[in-house]
Amino acid sequence: MKDDKSKSELNYRDLTQSDKDLVAKLVRGGFSRREVLKLSMVTGVSLVAAEHLLFDGKAAIAATPKKGGSVRMASNLHGPDDQLDPILFTSTIDYTRGRATYNSLVQHANDLTPQPELATSFEPNSNATEWTFKLREGVTWHDGSKFTADDAVYSMNRHLGEGTTSVINSVLKSIKEFKKTGPYEMKAIMNSPNSDLPTLMGLFQTKIVKEGSTGGGIGTGPYVMDSFQPGVKSVHSRNNNYWREGANLDAIEITAITDPVARVNALISGDMQMITQPDPNAFRQIESADNVTLLSTPAAVQLGICILKNSEPGSNDDFVKGMQYIQDRERIVKRVLKGKGSLGNDTPVSFSHGPDFCKELPQRQFDPDKAKFHFKKSGYSSAELFVAPVTSGIEDTCLTAQANCAKIGFDLKLKKVPTDGYWGAVWMKEPLNVVTWNMRPTANSQMAIQFGPGGNWNDTFWNNDRMGELLRLSLAEINPDKRHAMYCEMQTLIHNGSGMVIPAFSNINDGIANNIMGMPTVPLGQLGGCEWPEFIWLA
Amino acid sequence: MMTRMVMQRIGIGFATLIVVSIIVFIATSILPGDVAQIVLGQSATPETLAALRAQLGLDQPGYIRYFSWLGNMVTGDLGISKAGGATISSLIGGRLGNTMMMAGWVAVISIPISIALGLWAAMHPGTWLDRIVTFGTLSLISVPEFFIATVAVLILAVELHWLPSTAYMTGEETFLELMKALAMPLITLVIVVSAQMIRMTRAGILNVMSSPYIEMAILKGVPRGRIIMRHAFYNAIGPIVNVIALNLAYLVSGVVIVETIFAYPGLAKLMIDGVQTRDLPLVQACAMIFCGTYVVLILFADIGSILSNPRLRNPK
Repeated sequence: MKDDKSKSELNYRDLTQSDKDLVAKLVRGGFSRREVLKLSMVTGVSLVAAEHLLFDGKAAIAATPKKGGSVRMASNLHGPDDQLDPILFTSTIDYTRGRATYNSLVQHANDLTPQPELATSFEPNSNATEWTFKLREGVTWHDGSKFTADDAVYSMNRHLGEGTTSVINSVLKSIKEFKKTGPYEMKAIMNSPNSDLPTLMGLFQTKIVKEGSTGGGIGTGPYVMDSFQPGVKSVHSRNNNYWREGANLDAIEITAITDPVARVNALISGDMQMITQPDPNAFRQIESADNVTLLSTPAAVQLGICILKNSEPGSNDDFVKGMQYIQDRERIVKRVLKGKGSLGNDTPVSFSHGPDFCKELPQRQFDPDKAKFHFKKSGYSSAELFVAPVTSGIEDTCLTAQANCAKIGFDLKLKKVPTDGYWGAVWMKEPLNVVTWNMRPTANSQMAIQFGPGGNWNDTFWNNDRMGELLRLSLAEINPDKRHAMYCEMQTLIHNGSGMVIPAFSNINDGIANNIMGMPTVPLGQLGGCEWPEFIWLA
Repeated sequence: MMTRMVMQRIGIGFATLIVVSIIVFIATSILPGDVAQIVLGQSATPETLAALRAQLGLDQPGYIRYFSWLGNMVTGDLGISKAGGATISSLIGGRLGNTMMMAGWVAVISIPISIALGLWAAMHPGTWLDRIVTFGTLSLISVPEFFIATVAVLILAVELHWLPSTAYMTGEETFLELMKALAMPLITLVIVVSAQMIRMTRAGILNVMSSPYIEMAILKGVPRGRIIMRHAFYNAIGPIVNVIALNLAYLVSGVVIVETIFAYPGLAKLMIDGVQTRDLPLVQACAMIFCGTYVVLILFADIGSILSNPRLRNPK
């Protein structure tokens, strides 16, 4: 009876701001029983009332996007190489500016299904040699001119052909060209069928720019770019002529704070409302602060060790097996990643890739005895691994492996090198090196990039003809069971044959202020796949 | 005599700039990877690398690139950033202003404080006040600046919320807001450079105090304060202005740690970014500014010492 009374009395909007913050934090966390208990203790209401409060809070938070306000976001890296040209985007800060300024043909939903953006529909012909994109009418550029198929065809063709500098040129190899077939219609003419094509049209680099331009900050996106200083910051204000409902915030500022400690301090002290990639050692500091939340989105950000199959010692299969069995995967997820990660099974595909993930493939376990056996059989008693801090946790992962190797009498030497110049000088050159990859939207593109035979970034130089065949066939396969069988076969091939050691996947971790609502959770990049500018609002 | 020396020094200064530019050019070329590789990063393919290199003119031999840079530089054209495509002058413009503003405020605050404290300590050597100054400055010199900065942030920004933790400027703030935004890096830098200048001032004066003419003044019964202000200080100006000049030059070119910790967009960090992206024109432009600053400031310091010292003014 008493419970019922407090239930009718206490609602989310009656709470003080600090209690609202607490509710917001709990709603984001998915509120377990323990957290309901915590709320009950903090606010002094009964358990039933606390539970009611959370559901009420969830409804209030989910229901009403509010207009107005502004946020500042601090990424982890920026510099004079900050870009406004989408085909050269390589960093979170570029992706975010691109997302605020431009649109793609296709947009990724939280579950990675392709959604219409500037394209209203995308359909293949019967044998998937052509895809037709119907384009949105009534869209205007920030300078007032009209968006047409010419802009879209021009922008997409910049990725193709001789002399392109597009960073996704290889990813789009299955496309021959884009052709205008009407004022608001275009076709993609394929070299080979690709059922994942719509998803690829939503990559960070596929933003549509005005015909004849290289972007320059003039887009069709939810924000107009007011100023841009490479390596300093950019300022954006709401595009009031946006073709969709449009952004909720009046303005956003995008900058970077490269020092990890300073970045977290800026979030907690309120200078910044969003930050990317807090150091794992700062997770607890963020979680225990009252005004901010740690956002952790499961994703397939691999902590990878590449063992080159085309040279010693990687050409020896037993050596690779030894390196795979010596990974204490559970410990890496728990201690190195502070629980914000998931087990890796020496393939680049994780459950975040959806149904194409092969959960039937048995998880490889930490097994020092097997590792010792394989190392012994390989004839090697030592090896040198080049380590650069390419992703957070990779150095500690290698140190863990080193310690476990020492216990079984194998000498794993770690050669520490800087990230500066790493991709050109070390990666794909030294016999053992570390790697990370941004998560790709489909299992196929994720595997094709690293394990496609003869590919540019086949970073363990493992060339398997069956793998190449399956990568092609699976893109044309429509039967879901057959398709899954193909994906499982590919993951099994990589798991057993390649030179890749992937002990764990890291979540994507960010910190945001508690009053930020409507965060997307697209796992392809920091802060909801950089999709936040159009969707968030301030409570 | 003075003009001749100044002209000579300016000539040497230009020669220094040329030598430095050659060294920087060679050093940057030795680093692994070029700007095309860094920009394309993990996504580089042989084809896109070749295309970007051709686009940026990196397929030309090194000496041609150096001389075309030098030619443009002489006509005042700093060139275009190879990494991002912005003009170097636009990249440097705002940051040069920021750096000068920070260096200026630090100088305005720290130089009077340092000289006053240094003189004061020298007037009362051996007293507990002197010991506090000596011990305090020695401790602060020994502490690295990132430590001072981090402790200041933790106390003043994260715990007390008095000051912002980063020097984030919107460009539209009032003077007071600007001072608040800059307060943290200012405090850090004032502490770092003052400690050194205080010690140098004190040491310089005490050094002069042991010379015969001061002993004479003491024997004559001149009060200690007057001895220091009239006799000792002028003779100690030489080393003091030199240490001030070096500290000022450091404020322009060497405060990369403070710029990083407070995310302050200054020149030192820009040069580091330039090196990391192998953006040669950018590195060169920064190197010229830093080298020029040293040349000019040390010239001023030398003029200062000569003016304060009749023996240097009239060499045999």
